[in-house]
Amino acid sequence: MPTGLEAITSTDVPPVTRQRSRVLWGTAAVILLAVFLPAGVNQYWMQIGTLAFVYWVLIAGLDLIIGYAGQLAIGFVGLLAIGAYTASILCEKAGWPAFAALAAAGAAGAFFGFLVGLPSLRLKSFYFAMTTLGFATIVTQVALGWERLTGGGIGLPGPIFPTPLDTPVGFYYLALGMALFATYLLRNVAFSNFGRGLVAVRDAEVAAEAVGVPITRLKLVTFTLSGILAGMAGALFAARQTYITPDAFTFDLSVLFFIAVLIGGRGRIIGPMIGTAILTLLPEIAAPLVMWSNFLYALLLLLVVLLVPGGIAEFLERFFVKAAKGEGIEAPAPERLNAVLGQHASPKILTLQGVALHFGGVRALDGVDVTVRPGTVHGLIGPNGSGKTTLLNAASGFYAVNGGRIVFGEADLASRSSADRAALGIARTFQTPRVVGNLSVLENAMLGAYRQFTTSFPAVALGSRRGVSEDRVIRQRAADALAAVGLRRLAHLKAEQLQHTEQRFLEIARCLVMQPSILLLDEPAAGLSHDEIEHLRLLVEQIRGLGVAILLVEHHADLVFQVSDEVTVLDLGRVLAHGAPAEVRVNSEVIDAYLGT
Amino acid sequence: MTKMKIGFVIASLVACCLVILVSPPAWSQSSAPPLKIGWLAALTGPNSTPGIGQDRGIRYAADQINKAGGVMGRKIEIVSRDTQGDPTKAVNAALEVINNDKVEFTIGPTNSGECLATQPVIARYKVPSFPIGVVDSLIDTVKFPYSFRVSNNNTQWQESVLTYALKVLKAKKIGIIGDTTGYGTMSVNLSEQLLKAQGANITYKGLVEANQTDVMADLRKAQSSGAEVMIVWTDSAGLNSRLMNARAELGWNVPFAGHPVLGAGAVKPLLAKPENWKNVYNVGYRPMSFDDNGKLPEKSQKFVDTVSSAGVRLDDTMLWWVGLGVDTVQLIKDSVEAAKSSKADDVKRVLEAGKTFNGVYCTSCTYSPTNHNGYPTDDVVMNRADSFRAGAYAIAPGYGK
Amino acid sequence: MLVTILVAGIAIGAIYAMIGLSYNMMYSTSKVVSFTPGQLGMIGAVFGAWFIGVLGVPLWLGFLGAMGVAVVYGFFTELIAVRPVLKSIEQHLYVLTTLAAALMIQQAVAIWWGTDPRPFPTLFGLGTGLSSEKYWLPVVACFLTFIGLELFYRKTLWGAAFIAVAEDAEAARALGIPDVRIRVVSYCLAGFIGALAGFMGGQLLLAFFALGATLTFYGFVPIAMGGLGSSRGALIGGFFLGILQQTANYFVGGVFVGVVTFVVFITLLLLVPRGLFGSAVARRV
Repeated sequence: MPTGLEAITSTDVPPVTRQRSRVLWGTAAVILLAVFLPAGVNQYWMQIGTLAFVYWVLIAGLDLIIGYAGQLAIGFVGLLAIGAYTASILCEKAGWPAFAALAAAGAAGAFFGFLVGLPSLRLKSFYFAMTTLGFATIVTQVALGWERLTGGGIGLPGPIFPTPLDTPVGFYYLALGMALFATYLLRNVAFSNFGRGLVAVRDAEVAAEAVGVPITRLKLVTFTLSGILAGMAGALFAARQTYITPDAFTFDLSVLFFIAVLIGGRGRIIGPMIGTAILTLLPEIAAPLVMWSNFLYALLLLLVVLLVPGGIAEFLERFFVKAAKGEGIEAPAPERLNAVLGQHASPKILTLQGVALHFGGVRALDGVDVTVRPGTVHGLIGPNGSGKTTLLNAASGFYAVNGGRIVFGEADLASRSSADRAALGIARTFQTPRVVGNLSVLENAMLGAYRQFTTSFPAVALGSRRGVSEDRVIRQRAADALAAVGLRRLAHLKAEQLQHTEQRFLEIARCLVMQPSILLLDEPAAGLSHDEIEHLRLLVEQIRGLGVAILLVEHHADLVFQVSDEVTVLDLGRVLAHGAPAEVRVNSEVIDAYLGT
Repeated sequence: MTKMKIGFVIASLVACCLVILVSPPAWSQSSAPPLKIGWLAALTGPNSTPGIGQDRGIRYAADQINKAGGVMGRKIEIVSRDTQGDPTKAVNAALEVINNDKVEFTIGPTNSGECLATQPVIARYKVPSFPIGVVDSLIDTVKFPYSFRVSNNNTQWQESVLTYALKVLKAKKIGIIGDTTGYGTMSVNLSEQLLKAQGANITYKGLVEANQTDVMADLRKAQSSGAEVMIVWTDSAGLNSRLMNARAELGWNVPFAGHPVLGAGAVKPLLAKPENWKNVYNVGYRPMSFDDNGKLPEKSQKFVDTVSSAGVRLDDTMLWWVGLGVDTVQLIKDSVEAAKSSKADDVKRVLEAGKTFNGVYCTSCTYSPTNHNGYPTDDVVMNRADSFRAGAYAIAPGYGK
Repeated sequence: MLVTILVAGIAIGAIYAMIGLSYNMMYSTSKVVSFTPGQLGMIGAVFGAWFIGVLGVPLWLGFLGAMGVAVVYGFFTELIAVRPVLKSIEQHLYVLTTLAAALMIQQAVAIWWGTDPRPFPTLFGLGTGLSSEKYWLPVVACFLTFIGLELFYRKTLWGAAFIAVAEDAEAARALGIPDVRIRVVSYCLAGFIGALAGFMGGQLLLAFFALGATLTFYGFVPIAMGGLGSSRGALIGGFFLGILQQTANYFVGGVFVGVVTFVVFITLLLLVPRGLFGSAVARRV
């Protein structure tokens, strides 16, 4: 993700306009080059350029799938074929005008892209890759076998666009225009809420669930968009070739598309663009090596994955983007909390009644009752294995319970997924911080507002103004949240560069951005220094003061007794004691089981 | 950081080199400029065997002509590009040789699938082209006015095979089988069409994947349908041999008639027993066939002797491919000389004027303003598949002469 | 008709099953599903044909040679395509590296051996027609492999060590089991099994460079159906697929055999949860 490449509106997050202008100038230069290319080179090179643009339309979409969503869709050439045949059949056999056929190709691509995406919901990596390969094979076989429709092995002529777009130069500009449009779509999605969500799903699915990302919907809508682009690329491809046959849609082409995204760098834009250009040009320049071209692509893939996993983009970044330097965590600024939580969701009570959960024969929870009221801190302590984290997981929807009720506000949470519960106002942190390493600290925090983003995916893709301004609002809120927890100075670092303890505070910031009704904290003090625990305590008190309910699962008994309004002690899945901290502290059973003297 | 900077510098240098490499050279010509002929062929990859044979003929002819002074004092330069059987590469290669190398003629591509894609592209540049694919629609005086075919077209193959099956083998029930490639499916369907038009009785029609390991089931089906001849349309040596082996295992002595590759050298080692090659007839060409006395036509024999002594191998390819290559280059030379120019319109005019070109493969090649298919239909005959010798075959029984 | 379908189906099914066993072998010690088993089959067929058919080397030597090449390829697969990406296994980079490794060997063989399928020599010359060795050699090899693996796992110390590493590599290492060495051996063994499939099935499949791609896909179907790690599943799935293919070929024929197979594959994959989610994920949160 492009860290720091957007000027930030917030005053305390330093603007990085110098990098932004560099990128703008670079992009302008590339566009100018593309526009004036036909004047400078002969038709052959121009046509190669056209081919690169056509490929890029598809690869831009594929970048979203492979680069951002992290789905290994290897058989995308099938969608190219579907788009090409749809457009060609409609033009040749039904007499449709070319642009209408182009749109139809996009629609066909959308439908099949959606279908291709469905298995990705249930199948992981290798299995999904195999199904996409099977899909591509089937498309070619159907094209070959359904002779009446597709012309079988003989194929059929491609669509012809109206003059002057039917000349090589005219078509070059059409392809260039489409490539620019595809880039625009890609860029809009990548820099948006959805782009961040996709990266989260790719790298830290648990975190994505915890902030309420509707993973299924997001994946499917991404596949659909990629399908549209691939279908349209297919129509353009057929027009460029002027004639299509099934043997133009080889497996090697699929691998080429795949590699272009990877050598460009997953989750980038400019990298895969360069990758596309290189891979289109390579066979033309290295003509004597054409026999080896497939071998070399495979070798390139291997080398990229092993040596430069970040691809060309990573390579470029080291030159053009100065690594942001962080200056460490600082004291929380609770006064910023108001800005973040000012309009938090309505106060709701979380009630767990008789909750039971077993793993096989082990009763992790055996009839637990816990109630957390707004504006209070409810501490939950107990020995290891007592079920504290299990209870938190049950409440937040990561574990399904075997008995009992969980009610939040007026809603019975029984069938609700973790993402739905997040949308209802339940925010949580994790024992091991789940942050998205490849996103910046600021972007991680922004993830918290995922469900509050109302602009639709298509609108965002098309560059909706409303989406941009919503993004700005969220960015400001995230900046406030970071300042509130003391991470202001680290906003532009990649989350993976943060220390473990700083990541814990980042998770809290992310929760704050969610504007939750209740905050579930899973051992937030683990590994914190004395000062940091102080910061944490301050923060928790301030958050409580603003009316949020807090369930604090902790081992640091002192912290719990200091900050809680009521304490529950668990032992072996049952409530051992419950009451005000002072009472619980001197309870003899508790002392025996847990506290010691 | 330093390692990165060095890497960056190297990358820039490489980029500069590439730019220089691809810009067209600017050396001037002192003598007459060469006559550049683009040769687009699948020289590697699947289906490269024909291209390799044609390549030998083309280069041999170009060498001979250049040794004798060239075409109107201009040396022929063959600009060859390996298209690997990929239509996209073929289109790119066509664009390259026309725009970068400025060829005045193109020969090929060598696969129908590639030709279908390149014909419209080459036609746009008004470059006379000689595609080497059999699909009928490749030649069209309206859509591709500068395209001429030296080799036969699909209808000629089909008619030869089907006529032989009906008239010579006197089969009443016909079985048709082909592979699942574009060419195979099209040929099988075309046979079906043509046979139906003649009122013939088709009892079996099937498509087999070229790499299918076992074809016993398919042949059994055909056998139980009572087919008296099997028309075979696949250019895969493997599949052809497997069909013949299965036929033997079934003990079914039905004649096979079809694609030239039925007799290809690559089939021989794949046969379980050499007898499996009997009763198989592949379509071929009279000028390239041994008569009943085992002799090639005189002109062809001379050709074989001449090219063999010039070092051209014939025993691992087919004579007609080599001949086709030679004839095409010769035709270009003859037409340029007759037109006294290499300009497309002049060459087109001369070719359409109807003068007969006497090649070694295409013995009487004629064109007209409405017909750009040059090969004489009568010369398409059936051969005995197991009679391969030095690139040629014996003519099948039943042809009289 | 039925007999032909059964005989051919079981023969080809045995080949698919062995490729499936190769998948399992690699998966068991590394939790990696590799793209290479099909290529191992191709190596067995091509190099067997080269050693015995082209170079004229005696049968046993040609066999060892072909297996040797595959073992070496398996070794390098582990070293270059698997070991470096194991530490970040949740990123599934192994899909890409093993794909690259598979493509590279496929293309290299295409360039060296040629792109036409070439004959595989008759090994023993036993049987004709439906009882020809080309039908029952793969089946015999398949069963021998299966039995051999079962004995290996149950009766030998090495086998027990394999199982330990398969269950929990870290725990095994803590016990002093050389998990890296075992993984290397498992990849070499997988190479042997895959190549055995190709060698014994060579007369049926021919020595063809593109065999790898077909076998990779069709050898994976038994795994998808039977569940990764299950030898029995691989066998049953393989035979089922082989017979399904031959049946489809008889009734549908031509282009649509692949379509039918794929549709069955994807339906089963989506319906049958066994083995679909890889190894059970330990506590997520």
